Amino acid sequence: MPDELVFMMGNFAARFPTDRRYTLNHMWLNAEGDSVRFGLSAYAIRLLREVYFLEWSVDAGAAVRQKDEIGAVESSKAVAALYAPADGTITRFNAGALADPSAINKDGYGAGWLFEMTARAADAMEPAEYLKYLETSWTKAQELLKGQMAQ
Amino acid sequence: MKKLAVIIFRSPGQDPRKHEMEENILAALASDPDVAAAMAPHLYDLREADAAVASLRSVTGPLVVLAWLYPRAIHWTLDRLGIKGQRGETQLRRDDPEDEKRKDSASAPNASARTIWSLDLRDNDDTATHVAEIQRILRDLHAVSANAGPAASVTLPSVIRMQPSGVSLSRWYPVIDFGRCNDCMECLDFCLFGVYGVDDDGHVVVESPDNCKKGCPACSRVCPQNAILFPMHRTPAIAGAPGASFDARKLDLSELFGAPAAVQLAAAERNAALAGAEKEAKPRDNLDKLMDALDDAKL
Repeated sequence: MPDELVFMMGNFAARFPTDRRYTLNHMWLNAEGDSVRFGLSAYAIRLLREVYFLEWSVDAGAAVRQKDEIGAVESSKAVAALYAPADGTITRFNAGALADPSAINKDGYGAGWLFEMTARAADAMEPAEYLKYLETSWTKAQELLKGQMAQ
Repeated sequence: MKKLAVIIFRSPGQDPRKHEMEENILAALASDPDVAAAMAPHLYDLREADAAVASLRSVTGPLVVLAWLYPRAIHWTLDRLGIKGQRGETQLRRDDPEDEKRKDSASAPNASARTIWSLDLRDNDDTATHVAEIQRILRDLHAVSANAGPAASVTLPSVIRMQPSGVSLSRWYPVIDFGRCNDCMECLDFCLFGVYGVDDDGHVVVESPDNCKKGCPACSRVCPQNAILFPMHRTPAIAGAPGASFDARKLDLSELFGAPAAVQLAAAERNAALAGAEKEAKPRDNLDKLMDALDDAKL
């Protein structure tokens, strides 16, 4: 298997390392012992562009359900709420990314990780599966972007 | 001659372009002998006990305030901190017609005679436009004070920088627009966390802001007058945007990131906040322990 898969967002090549899995809400995850580390996928980061503001609305230790709103990001182009990718308990937020969210852009798959949680059943996708999902998501994203810009 | 106090409230985030604009506006105003300019920490996170608040309260004359918030949110957050005045009209952004209509009939309790102009720094990314608007306000003031006798004194030094006292934590609480609130008490009934109370005059007030559950804007959605603001909420209507118009400045990508349908939102928000609160309050009982044991057994 190659080290990464590539999805073309227009002329931009979004890269997805194959050492991890991905969720429907465009996060990557990687098991680190008992806890699972999450971050934003290159697809999400490309849509946002430069992330300037990151905020969590729950505290570390909070039990969350999948799709609970847990925080928000603001970037040069967009605002977005962030939602829990799975049921579980959030154990730790990345203090580095919180203090300086530009880490998300600089190293989204590494130092720019978001949080760790004990996730019971993360229905995550393998990279190849995520790429297929992106093909449908990309159409929806373009429609949403065009729709909002037209308003 | 009357000195006009201008306060620039800093952005809460790390955006270098925002911080640069704050600095540029301050620098542009520093050379104006008619202006006393100051930089203050993020307005919404200030507490009544903060030194910056005491400095702001000492300004008794007309005041121009710039912040990365909607003008309505700026005005009522200041009001909450005891920095009160009439809303000045700016030419950068028109007032909400909803408020124009009410201006004569409703007046905020204890509103003082001085004027406070609230400018949203997001309205224009050009420093010169904001500075020009401040100078326009200044000219208008001079025209008025020429007829109105001696001016109120301004105790601010020409340029000061107010620091947040202690650790600055990002806060979350509702701000009431008293120009709209009609004391219907819906929020008091709806909120399950005791955020709201009633003052001696029978007006609803945000009595215990720190009881509010971070991220929960549910009371704002139930308020019939749209008088409850959460200045940091990403939905413009809740953050105090004029009217219910869509804020086209930034795209909202929440839907792509997994946002649920809007109709279920208010109830879900309150219930989620309640579930969180109960979890904190309730001691673990034997049933919880049994459930944990079952989980651990991995049957």
